[in-house]
Amino acid sequence: MKHQNPSRRFLLRPVAIAALALVAAGALINTARADETKPAAKSPAPAPKKLTGAELYAVNCNRCHPERYPTEFNSAQWQTIMLHMRVRANLPAKQAKEILKYMKEEAGN
Amino acid sequence: MNKNLNTRILGAAAASWVLGLAAPQLSRAAVSDEDFNALKTMVQQLQQAHQQDQQQIQTLEQKLGETQLLATNAVEQASAVALAQATPPPLARHNFTMVGDAEIQYAKTYGNGTHNGQMLADFAPIFLFQANQSILFEAGFDVTVNNGTSDGNYLVNGNQGGTYTHDTGSSTSVSMSFGQMDYLVNDYVTFVGGYMLLPLGTYSERTAGWLNKIPDDPYGVEFLPGAGAGAQLRGSYPLGESGQMLTYSAYCANGPSSVDGTGNAYTISGGNTIANLDLGGNVGIQNNGNTGNLHSAPSGGGRIGWFIPWGGAHKDLELGVSGQSGTWDDNNSYVWSACVLDAALHFGPNVEIKGEYIDTWYNTADAGTIRPWGAWVQAGYKLAGLNLDLPIISDIELIGRYDQENNGLGTVAGNNLGSDSRRYTMGYVYYITNTLLFEGDYEFIHNSIIGGTPQPSNQLIFQLSYGF
Repeated sequence: MKHQNPSRRFLLRPVAIAALALVAAGALINTARADETKPAAKSPAPAPKKLTGAELYAVNCNRCHPERYPTEFNSAQWQTIMLHMRVRANLPAKQAKEILKYMKEEAGN
Repeated sequence: MNKNLNTRILGAAAASWVLGLAAPQLSRAAVSDEDFNALKTMVQQLQQAHQQDQQQIQTLEQKLGETQLLATNAVEQASAVALAQATPPPLARHNFTMVGDAEIQYAKTYGNGTHNGQMLADFAPIFLFQANQSILFEAGFDVTVNNGTSDGNYLVNGNQGGTYTHDTGSSTSVSMSFGQMDYLVNDYVTFVGGYMLLPLGTYSERTAGWLNKIPDDPYGVEFLPGAGAGAQLRGSYPLGESGQMLTYSAYCANGPSSVDGTGNAYTISGGNTIANLDLGGNVGIQNNGNTGNLHSAPSGGGRIGWFIPWGGAHKDLELGVSGQSGTWDDNNSYVWSACVLDAALHFGPNVEIKGEYIDTWYNTADAGTIRPWGAWVQAGYKLAGLNLDLPIISDIELIGRYDQENNGLGTVAGNNLGSDSRRYTMGYVYYITNTLLFEGDYEFIHNSIIGGTPQPSNQLIFQLSYGF
């Protein structure tokens, strides 16, 4: 008869419950968002709007720290800092490039 | 009549011609040789003077030309300077940049016989060197001055004498929190090597002082190795155009070790009984005297995250699950493992809720499985959301946190190391600027020490944090 280690059992239970809760929450949000964008009639669904560099900057940077003003660093410094943040925050390459483009433009030098 | 007039004109002309021929002859006849020689000498002198004047004129003309050339050059140079001043210089390659944070902190504990107050200053720069478009070297340091350390051991005749209960002065520490090389392999894969921050949960990678809205670490994170030497692959994959993404990290690192090499739960060090597990400590002096890995099996770990923004900026949910596993004793007989669940929710620009559940467990040779675990949840609300339009009030964020941990050692008989702690924290962040924060909190601590000494029951902390 297979014996299950009781310590493993009480460890796995909260982990499994929490994981299920997190996945369910994510799915719920995605479902709600899909409902928001669902067209009322049978008209063709509009193409999803591509976020600009400024929008991606607002979406990604503020979730870990207060937003930094683009003028706090110059363009060349932003180049290095964005490489650091792309790795640290696991930003997708295209998003990181759009954010960098925005920061450079707004840095003004 | 006309004939007479012509005759008169002709006569006058003839007379003039005769006189014209006769006069020079009369003059020559009047100049003597002396006068002629004097006149000749004078003419020669005049010629010399004329030649000298010509030379002076040439010299002056030459000098004038040089002066004009200098003036022209000066004008051209002045124009060039003016042009250079008016035109911004071309961008230098700022491939060396420093970011980081700095803090000063005052903490005061109360209750259970403690009256500890301490001041702390911390300077934590991160040096970034971008070698090219794909390679970045980064190193983070932590320089801390702590005035008022209160714990320590003293010796009596070479033996353990007891534990300090009074302040022992100040202490300074300098440490390298991470040092790594990042190489962007492609849009979806980044290689990281060196001494890395480990992606167990999100707190270890987002732990800078000005990022924490409460100055001290939450319970539970002390059961995780914050950093480790090894290699990592990480990256992300965007889902659609809304900013949603899946992120991943996979790594191998030295992992934990055993203080005395065995897989026992405890060992004796300096006369004290201490836990034998050393997180991230798998480098030391081997039996042959060489420095190297104390056991041969590195640990493996990773994290998978899911970031879901909705409704634009400041509305997002991030979920993550991460873990690490590997042996910790010298014979690779016993395994240490960790699992972390993390979540962060932003519901508009003024509401943030985040937390982690941290579960670790390791097998021992003499005490079975020990299970340290912890959890924390933190909520913040920015008063700007009240739309009161008051300068100071609108710059304040109220913070609350509940955290709990159990080090798992209380289940083992014969030791006094077990503890089970719960903490309720209320605090604030005043945003003086976007990077200068004045934080304060009061903590209600419920600490159950199994056979140990009492711990503070409450704590007050103020901290000034600056991110640069």
